[in-house]
Amino acid sequence: MSVRDWLQTRLGLESLEHVIEKKRVPVHRHSFWYYWGGMTLFLFGVQVTTGILLVLYYRPSADEAYESVRFLMTQVSFGWLVRSIHSWSANLMVGAAMVHMFSAFLLKAYRRPREVTWLTGMGLFVLCLAFGFSGYLLPWNQLAFFATKVGTDIVAAVPLVGGFLARLLRGGDQITGGTLTRFFGFHVAILPLLMTAVLGLHLFLVQWHGMSVPPGVEQQAPARKEMRFVPDFLLRDIVGWLAALGALALLAALFPWELGLKADPYAPAPAGIKPEWYFGWMFQTLRMLPSHVLGIEGEVLGIVGFGLAGLVWVVVPFLDAPDGRGPRARLWTAIGMLAIVYVIVFTLLVYRGGHPR
Amino acid sequence: MSGRVVAILAGRIRGRGPLPAAAALAVMTALVLAASAARAATDSCLDCHRALDDPRLKAPAQGFPRDIHSERGFTCASCHGGNPSDPDVSAMDPDRGFKGAPTRDQVAPLCAGCHANAEFMKHYNPRPYIFSLAEWKTSVHCKRESLGDQKVATCTGCHGVHGIRPHNDPASPIYPTNVPRTCARCHNPDYLKGRAVRADQYALYAQSVHGVALLEKGDVSAPACNDCHGNHGAAPPGLKDVTMVCGTCHGREAELFDGSRMKAAMDLEGKRGCVTCHGNHGVKQPTDAMLSTDPGGTCSGCHEPGSAAERDTRAIIASFGGLKRSLAGADSLLKLAEVRGMEASPGRESLKDAQDRLVAVRAGLHSFDPKKIGAALGEGAAVAAKAAGYGREALRDWRNRRLGTAASLVVILLLMGLLIARIRQGERARGD
Repeated sequence: MSVRDWLQTRLGLESLEHVIEKKRVPVHRHSFWYYWGGMTLFLFGVQVTTGILLVLYYRPSADEAYESVRFLMTQVSFGWLVRSIHSWSANLMVGAAMVHMFSAFLLKAYRRPREVTWLTGMGLFVLCLAFGFSGYLLPWNQLAFFATKVGTDIVAAVPLVGGFLARLLRGGDQITGGTLTRFFGFHVAILPLLMTAVLGLHLFLVQWHGMSVPPGVEQQAPARKEMRFVPDFLLRDIVGWLAALGALALLAALFPWELGLKADPYAPAPAGIKPEWYFGWMFQTLRMLPSHVLGIEGEVLGIVGFGLAGLVWVVVPFLDAPDGRGPRARLWTAIGMLAIVYVIVFTLLVYRGGHPR
Repeated sequence: MSGRVVAILAGRIRGRGPLPAAAALAVMTALVLAASAARAATDSCLDCHRALDDPRLKAPAQGFPRDIHSERGFTCASCHGGNPSDPDVSAMDPDRGFKGAPTRDQVAPLCAGCHANAEFMKHYNPRPYIFSLAEWKTSVHCKRESLGDQKVATCTGCHGVHGIRPHNDPASPIYPTNVPRTCARCHNPDYLKGRAVRADQYALYAQSVHGVALLEKGDVSAPACNDCHGNHGAAPPGLKDVTMVCGTCHGREAELFDGSRMKAAMDLEGKRGCVTCHGNHGVKQPTDAMLSTDPGGTCSGCHEPGSAAERDTRAIIASFGGLKRSLAGADSLLKLAEVRGMEASPGRESLKDAQDRLVAVRAGLHSFDPKKIGAALGEGAAVAAKAAGYGREALRDWRNRRLGTAASLVVILLLMGLLIARIRQGERARGD
């Protein structure tokens, strides 16, 4: 009995082969956007791999976190590379997830029957941001400390539940070593658990429903071109992943992620504290809002506004036209375009005249 | 004396046992307020002097309500005697205890009546400063006064009168940042005209490292006049005292100097220790340029060219300069590594250690022992070399990283090229 037969008997490889053999990817003028989900997944894989390597050296306490990261960067072979790739890959992953989300929005990939795929995708995006927020504090450096303080202060301003949420995040009223340990717990246990579950469901639904075809393409060409997922689409995916790997190597070597100074709660906040770029547009909006609008505190108004806008964004499959055509569909496309322009412009405004990090 | 009454009452209240502290405090406060109110109603000294036209007689009544003594419940009668409850001129009847204004020589004993009494002063401060008449008598001020000099300072000359503020009140003339100007009110060329006393101290001090720190930066740890000369026993430091005076702050330097051959040599030649090289009132921020045997340099003032001491000094200067160059070199290497994005903090720590050693060498120069100084310089140079080693290693790493990245990019591009060729091959096979 060959190994293949042995496995076939026990794992039913034939049915898996059948699924792989049958899987097709539509080919049309918007096919380029199909690669961004795979790109996000690849970068997530890089995060998991480098994250596991980092955990081998990282010590999650206020007394040791900074020192352990510094030890990793200066004494451990390729430690600097692992940390730099982890940090850069995190940023690229959020960027890829954004491209994937906005392209799915504009191509109306959330149409029936893919509403739940969209919802799980939104869940994954929120988890990505949570990974970024929790991971940023872990080196316990000055910038991370104060950026986390600003971030949790914003959470504290959420009406009704803000105080509770901020205390839940900080593990108290202030950012302390307890917060660091808590964020480490979020980053390596709670969030990965949630991510695995939601990502599993998302990938299952993508396989179950197949790739969505944009309404315009669906209408124009009923007899569509397709390519096999394996090997044709997968090979193209791998080319993209290799390009991302090359970009990561280049970024890590040319712009190694800085460690900065150790966090000192009693030191004055460094000038020009900014959150990570993907929170920049929200940060900039809150910064530009007047202190009070119609008697309501500007910050509170902004947070409530983001909450409502986020909610609308999540439930868009139920608000847009089911077939993705007509005036209602065009209105939602315009709203999506506007959101993209808003995010880009307000993100750029954060860095007007300053270094991004 | 209402303060005394309050203190006695407070003692009695405490003696009653379990009366709560808050209640005791309330009772005491009420008594002080009542005493103040009673005084305000009956103090004929203040009432009359306020109404006088002569500014000299009016001023005490105007200033006294702001005086710490007034705030503590003392009255004019506490110092001047008399009967403040008597609204008539008979309040100033010498037969009934009126003493009037004390003469200059009576001031210190009058103040000492309370301020030299530890038992009494403890009613107002658990850790009181106890004035010493014996110390006052060692001062040049007291000595001149006992000779009949009427232009020397007594208590009121520095602390003020009828408006005295506590020593820790920034408005007080004896608050550290105000002391130099207070002394300069007398120690100036106009006031001391015709006397064989220097009068340029304030001008020199204001430009000195101490003066700039205290007067411009408000650093109250910097010495004012009284920190070197004493306050109630103010006098020029004696020849033997100079090192001890400077050593109250610069302890390490003084300790090394005391055990040095230099001190013995200076004592023989009648030179005045620290001030021989650093000066006194006009002492400047010491710089490494002071360490020089060149004409005009600090060392050349005493050491003649070609002497053994001059040769030793030259050797120390050369090693000292070598350590400074090593530190600058290590700093440049680390800066370059940091600019290139390398983590150089272990190197920075070594550099900080080497810089601390340089500071220790600067203090160690006061031992004037070439062997000890040379050994300390050698240790500093070794640590500086370690810091430079970190910098060089970081830069080597930086080059290796670039080479490694270039090599990995070549492999990645090669793989991408092969995959694209495979994709094209598939497309051609399908006739795409």
